[in-house]
Amino acid sequence: MADAAGTVGARLSPQIDSLIRAAQSGDQDAFEQLVRTYDQSVLRLAMNLLRSPEDARDVYQEAFLRVYRNLHSFRFDCSFHTWLYRIVTNICLDQLRKRKVRKEESSTVETSEGPVDRMEAFEEEAAHADPERSLWNHQLRTRIEDALRDLTPRERMVFELRHYQGLRLRNIGEILGTTEEAAKNCLFRATQKMRSVLGDFT
Amino acid sequence: MTCDSIATFIPLYYYGELTPEEEDGVEEHIHQCRDCAHAMEQQRVLAAALDRRDMQVPPLLLEDCRADLIAAVHGGVSQLTAPVRSSVKKGPWRLFLDAVADSLSNLGRLRQPIGAVALVAIGFFGARLTTPRPAAVAHPAASDDNTFTTVRSVQPDNTGGVQIAFDETRRRVEHGRLDDPRIQSLMLAGAHEDNPAVRWESMDLLNYREGATEVRDALLNAVAQDTNPGVRQKALEKLKPLASDPEVRKTLSRVLLTDDNDSVRMQVVDLLVAHRDDYMVGLMQGLVQRERNDSLRLKLEKALKDMNASVGTF
Repeated sequence: MADAAGTVGARLSPQIDSLIRAAQSGDQDAFEQLVRTYDQSVLRLAMNLLRSPEDARDVYQEAFLRVYRNLHSFRFDCSFHTWLYRIVTNICLDQLRKRKVRKEESSTVETSEGPVDRMEAFEEEAAHADPERSLWNHQLRTRIEDALRDLTPRERMVFELRHYQGLRLRNIGEILGTTEEAAKNCLFRATQKMRSVLGDFT
Repeated sequence: MTCDSIATFIPLYYYGELTPEEEDGVEEHIHQCRDCAHAMEQQRVLAAALDRRDMQVPPLLLEDCRADLIAAVHGGVSQLTAPVRSSVKKGPWRLFLDAVADSLSNLGRLRQPIGAVALVAIGFFGARLTTPRPAAVAHPAASDDNTFTTVRSVQPDNTGGVQIAFDETRRRVEHGRLDDPRIQSLMLAGAHEDNPAVRWESMDLLNYREGATEVRDALLNAVAQDTNPGVRQKALEKLKPLASDPEVRKTLSRVLLTDDNDSVRMQVVDLLVAHRDDYMVGLMQGLVQRERNDSLRLKLEKALKDMNASVGTF
């Protein structure tokens, strides 16, 4: 479940630093390499949060163009991963807040074959193996989706960064401009809300 | 520890965010308390269900995003004007890309539209920048249609104005036959351009003629080292007449073992099987045993059968 982007970034720190310096001095190849080091986890974060390839694509484009425009102001006073994720999470949080206002978030995924519900697709796949189990999964997933929609954008973000991206709470606090303690509280509230929807599922 | 404090610790315990002492306390408590053990189990069930909800990024989406970004960055000014496309209303950048992609989509070759979009984007935004306008500030490029401007940064200055850093590139157009040495040398230079679309176009036009080792070397260099798989594939296509050349086969066997793109490797197999040699058979027999990609493994098996070689090594 954990994503390795942060860890990879830390392990490759000297190489990343030299890529950043080269990109800062106008080396396009270095910039592209830098993007390729992190872009998969950025796109995955956006996909998980927004559940739409089109919206995820917008986040990707906007985030890396901001990086391109502002790379010259990166002063190595935090890791590049943290700096990049500050940009990405800000864009995603804006999108989530807009959706909260519009209340139109959906787990439906737009594909070239039309809208597909990821959860339904999974359920259909599982149904061949065990129909009873599949029904149980479907109900559990529906409840979890509802619970995720009820999280505040910030709770949702902390949860995504911890659960799916595997970042430490201290790092999450740094990315979101808050303390480790506040990130802990967010994670606790998010999991409490989601566990409360489980009810008799365990 | 009380049940209340354990409730707070359960998610932190699950995610490994507690100190060793706190972890010991939680484990000791849930060992004795059925309710808290149940809460811990709920946490695990929740996490397992959430793991299955994780969305994998479709590889084509990632490639598409990268191509868009490269086009925007190479387009220079687009980075300053491209708005975030909303799902309701498309911005000019998206409309422009959509229009170009639509017009090229019937070509049936994925890389070509992407490369072409990048090329056309440069012209499009370059032209927008260099079109003479009744601007209040004199634009150095405004009087010359062959000068292209790429804006690198825009910052406020101390006087309340704006400081803009930009690069200017002057364009010259050369015409000539494909076998003209002057044109050939320009195309070889194009094979090393930063812009993958230009590299792709250069590969497309480079044709090997007897003794033209510099063309062969440029193609081999692209196959082995170009970062863009579309360019590598185009170079492979142009290497077809040279499939029996030992130098080419040496490079291709290295690419088959090391390239991270399965389509490129599929194309390499096609080229290699056109001429049988024992070294290649041994290489494929070794590779077929550990190849993870089903299509490629089947292709290797078929190639070995076609060459009357056994699929395994003995």
